[in-house]
Amino acid sequence: MTRVAVDADRCVGHGRCYTLAPDVFDADEVGHSIVFVEDVSGEREAQAADAERNCPEDAITLSP
Amino acid sequence: MTEADGFVNHTVAGLAEPQPMYKALRESTPVFRAPDVVVLSRLADIEMALKHTELFSSNMDAVDLGNIRPLIPLQIDPPDHAKYRRILDPLFTPREMARREPGVAQLVNEMIDRFADRGECDFHEDFAVPLPCTVFLQLLGLPLEDLDQFLEWKDGVIRPEGADGYEGRHDASAGVAQQIYDYFERAIDDHIAGPRDDVLSSLIAARIEGEPLTRHEILDICFLFLIAGLDTVTDSLDCFFVYLARHPDHRHQLVEQPDVLPSAIEELLRWETPVPGVARVAMQDVEVGGCPINKGERVSPLLGAANTDPAEFPDPDLVDFRRNPNRHRAFGGGPHRCLGSHLARMELRVAMREFHRRIPDYEIKPGTELTYTAALRSVESLPLTFPVPVS
Repeated sequence: MTRVAVDADRCVGHGRCYTLAPDVFDADEVGHSIVFVEDVSGEREAQAADAERNCPEDAITLSP
Repeated sequence: MTEADGFVNHTVAGLAEPQPMYKALRESTPVFRAPDVVVLSRLADIEMALKHTELFSSNMDAVDLGNIRPLIPLQIDPPDHAKYRRILDPLFTPREMARREPGVAQLVNEMIDRFADRGECDFHEDFAVPLPCTVFLQLLGLPLEDLDQFLEWKDGVIRPEGADGYEGRHDASAGVAQQIYDYFERAIDDHIAGPRDDVLSSLIAARIEGEPLTRHEILDICFLFLIAGLDTVTDSLDCFFVYLARHPDHRHQLVEQPDVLPSAIEELLRWETPVPGVARVAMQDVEVGGCPINKGERVSPLLGAANTDPAEFPDPDLVDFRRNPNRHRAFGGGPHRCLGSHLARMELRVAMREFHRRIPDYEIKPGTELTYTAALRSVESLPLTFPVPVS
């Protein structure tokens, strides 16, 4: 399992994560990212990794 | 005059293919001192400047559009900036934009109906200009017959006639700016009298810590919308369709693999960077890449150069519709990241999908010489020819 976290101080709402990884991230009411599945594996883990690589603000971290 | 000097005439001259110049700047003078602005072209420096608004402010000294108060939220820095974004961001989320998508799709098809049978169009004049302006009027809840007036105004403040360099800009655009304020004064009155489901009514109803926005605040937001929301999508459409007309393989990929569209849009945003640079002003003496920048100097982080920096993008000159990762900065970054990015993406997605569904093959009319506009990259005219679709 991999743990997903978003640094709310860094997120400014590019929205790349919830577009690329809709099974892991969602948008809050201002369009910033929220993690709705924190521990991921398999397809969700692949999605989360994709989101992490594509965040322009380096706001997403994946940890074991 | 060096090559770079010629390029950096008031940040960016209207170049058809600016990418080689971005590369030259990045490699020779990544912090480039032009007569009235310091241009940043390395991604790391640009990212730093966009994040650190206490060093590089986006306030009224950064760019003059004839406005008499700061545009909200562009010309307000953190911490006050956040309170405005908290009420504005919800109006432009992907979810909110999805709600508007069917209406935009209908509009796009009505526009295509007007020229599909002719086998030719001026893409700029017939599509790229009216689409975002009409969407804007609908979104704000303004009469569609005001379209031509809006087009005149946005050009009047973005590309004022007779403005020579930075200093002449205010006088050249102040008259038009006043007309814009007056127009929105009346529009606000109209919406107070009759609220409806549109952005202007939402602004009137919005509360920050229990208090409504002042009349000035609403005006300053509307002014910003007008300059930020109309031209930029026109620029993007122009840039994208020129690219696709000239690269049939890429166009065929869009037609044959419709699932590639969202990431193709991100890649075209990266490669073309329709808004090639943004404007900042140094708030204190500061050093970037070993070069001193003085307090009060204007600074332009060149987003187009960031988007082609090999430090971030392997093989940056390759346009790959499936590029992944693609952390482009076409919408900027940091606190002032483009408020309307999800609106822009939705408009671009619908326009590209519907246009290519109906007109998959087109070319630029032979003999056409494209003229790109300075600062924001539109073309003055884009004549396309195509086989008349069989209905």
